[in-house]
Amino acid sequence: MRHYRELWLILAGGFALFFVLSVFDGIALTEDYELRSAGFAKAVFGGREAVAEVPEHVEEIAEEAKVKDVPTDTTSQTILFIGDSMLDGLSPRMADYCLQNGHKLVSYRWYSSSTSKWGAQGTEFLRGILAQYKPTYVFICLGANELFVSKPAEKCGPAVERILESLGRTPYVWIGPPNWKPDTGINDVIASKSAPGCFFLSNGMEFERKKDGAHPTAASAVEWLDSVMRWMPHNCAHPIRMEVPQKPLPAKAPGQIIIKLRNPNE
Amino acid sequence: MQHVLDLLFGYHEGEPMLFSSGTFWALFLLFLPLYALLSTRRNRTMMLAFVLLFSLFFYYKSSGLFVGLLAATSVVDWGLSQVIARSSSRAMRRACVGVSLVFSLGILGYFKYANFFMMNLSAIVGSNFQPLELVLPVGISFYTFQSVSYIIDVYKGTIAPTRRWLDYAFFLSFFPALVAGPIVRAKDFLGQIAEHRPASRHDLYYGFWLVLVGVVKKAIVADYIAQYNDLIFQSPTGYNAFETLMGIIGYTMQIYCDFSGYSDMAIGLALVMGFRLNENFNFPYKSQNLTDFWRRWHISLSTWLRDYVYIPLGGNRKGTARTYVNNMATMLVGGLWHGAAWKFVFWGGMHGAGLAVHKAAKPHLGAWSDVWPVRALSWLVTMVFVACLWVFFRADSWGDSWLVLRQVFVGEWPGMAGVSAFASARMLWLALMVLIISAHALPSDWRMRAGEAFVRSRLWVKFLIFVIIVQAVLQLQGEDVAPFIYFQF
Repeated sequence: MRHYRELWLILAGGFALFFVLSVFDGIALTEDYELRSAGFAKAVFGGREAVAEVPEHVEEIAEEAKVKDVPTDTTSQTILFIGDSMLDGLSPRMADYCLQNGHKLVSYRWYSSSTSKWGAQGTEFLRGILAQYKPTYVFICLGANELFVSKPAEKCGPAVERILESLGRTPYVWIGPPNWKPDTGINDVIASKSAPGCFFLSNGMEFERKKDGAHPTAASAVEWLDSVMRWMPHNCAHPIRMEVPQKPLPAKAPGQIIIKLRNPNE
Repeated sequence: MQHVLDLLFGYHEGEPMLFSSGTFWALFLLFLPLYALLSTRRNRTMMLAFVLLFSLFFYYKSSGLFVGLLAATSVVDWGLSQVIARSSSRAMRRACVGVSLVFSLGILGYFKYANFFMMNLSAIVGSNFQPLELVLPVGISFYTFQSVSYIIDVYKGTIAPTRRWLDYAFFLSFFPALVAGPIVRAKDFLGQIAEHRPASRHDLYYGFWLVLVGVVKKAIVADYIAQYNDLIFQSPTGYNAFETLMGIIGYTMQIYCDFSGYSDMAIGLALVMGFRLNENFNFPYKSQNLTDFWRRWHISLSTWLRDYVYIPLGGNRKGTARTYVNNMATMLVGGLWHGAAWKFVFWGGMHGAGLAVHKAAKPHLGAWSDVWPVRALSWLVTMVFVACLWVFFRADSWGDSWLVLRQVFVGEWPGMAGVSAFASARMLWLALMVLIISAHALPSDWRMRAGEAFVRSRLWVKFLIFVIIVQAVLQLQGEDVAPFIYFQF
């Protein structure tokens, strides 16, 4: 009986400790690393899920940037899809779309990357892969790692411009970050720098999140990309054929789908 | 507060209660003091009733109203076992066994295999078939096998039936082993119920140690490395040859950590309650041949198949050719047990073929088999064979399995720069892989010795280890928590 009491104390003590820690909802150990909490306090006190609020101005920018219906380009494309870890969820679905619609896909993930990284030391890298694969269309998903950057216009604006300059005249769609909390302005920055009909605002969408609270689950990422593809025909400056993938998908030609990973320390 | 009560006591479809979840541990905190109070010889019946209720509740949390099936199976089996034990008529005894098998295997067959057989039948006759909307009750394959072995053992006279339904229901529904094994055999367990002795201090902390080891394997290693492996299997041709190969090796380690982690938790929890379950895994990736592998992997299933399929078919007593046939039939049943799909049948059949090749080759190896280069080569061949077959186990379809394997040979090899990029991006994934491979390289008794050291350690040390492990789980919980792979069986 005494031994059971001891074991119970260990378990109960642990629970009490994790409950107290969960009240603080993540304690920062360093600038980049925080102690994650068990979410007990949220469960008990019914803490509200952090819902991203969409500031009015970004919606205005998106509204002003709307384009009138543009005919859909039905030719086969070579699509370059670049971005951060959000591509883990988006790339498989993009591959399905490409198989369904006869496009070629080169997907390049750079974990923990940001507009600053791609737009600073990454511009050369980006130009390299543009030269190598000669994409006819580019999808970008960046900004999730800069949701809470202070003064994003100063810090990220020039980088966003450099990324878009690198693309030259290649048509593109920038898929905005899937906010899990209100951002400090990165969506504004990307929306204002992007050409009309080239920015998809993800902020405000409802996502089912993974345990990290940030990345959409695999199923939610599928819905996310499906939303982008539904948005394209009537809102995008350069809509391309993106019919919903049907199982079984057409057989993959050699080299049709290439998924690459960039060294995060580069 | 209502949310908390719903979380603790409500049934949430598709969200089985995992031993590594906070919900289970919160409930276990409530369970433990009452169990400790009742865990004396004097209160044995009360203890059995209390644990039975908790087990049924545990199953309800995982499978909802299917808990009724579990209860019905226990009532039918126990009633028939009484008739078998008391009847002197062989025909009656055989009829009772037949009824029990039809009932248990009929339920399993309906929920697990009905769509599979109907779809194959409709493909053969060329008719249209709309699959039935069936939900597989969690763990049904495990408790059905327990029920079958109990009835057959009673029929053979190997064990006596339990006098009370309570004892049998306790055995069948014992929550640590209920939803994903190990498959507990009545001959090993009923005696422990009859002479239940409270857990000693050593049992209690060694059990707690095993639970923590299981949590590390499942919630830290398996769940984390699964994130990368899933990417590879989602896009079988999307990654280069090296990345695909890493995904295959990763899944080989993932399934081991996932399932053996669950077994460790189950065995540990049982030990905390004073019950001993047999070992289910014994460092299977140390095996130098397939025969050895099946002596070390999912031991409770392989011994069950040996005793209730292979030996009744004649085992090795009816000549060489028949031995091979029996072996293959047993492995096909084993494959089909894992899932109603041809990929599992293929997986079982290939293991059967591999066992046959080893059996045939063994006499010719003679003294060579003890030479270290031959041992190393044997280990490598065994691991490559096992890992390649896991691809069929994991991939979403037959076609995807071949695509993944093909990609290793025809995919682009990235060169040192690509390998370096992989290592940098997947540093923690690689570290965990090295950890689990290293654990296999250590002497077999290291885990026991580490467990003994944990038992002897001071209370604050145990608390610290517990807290560190739980925090590590939280830190690495970057993705969806994958349910235990073996829940689906």
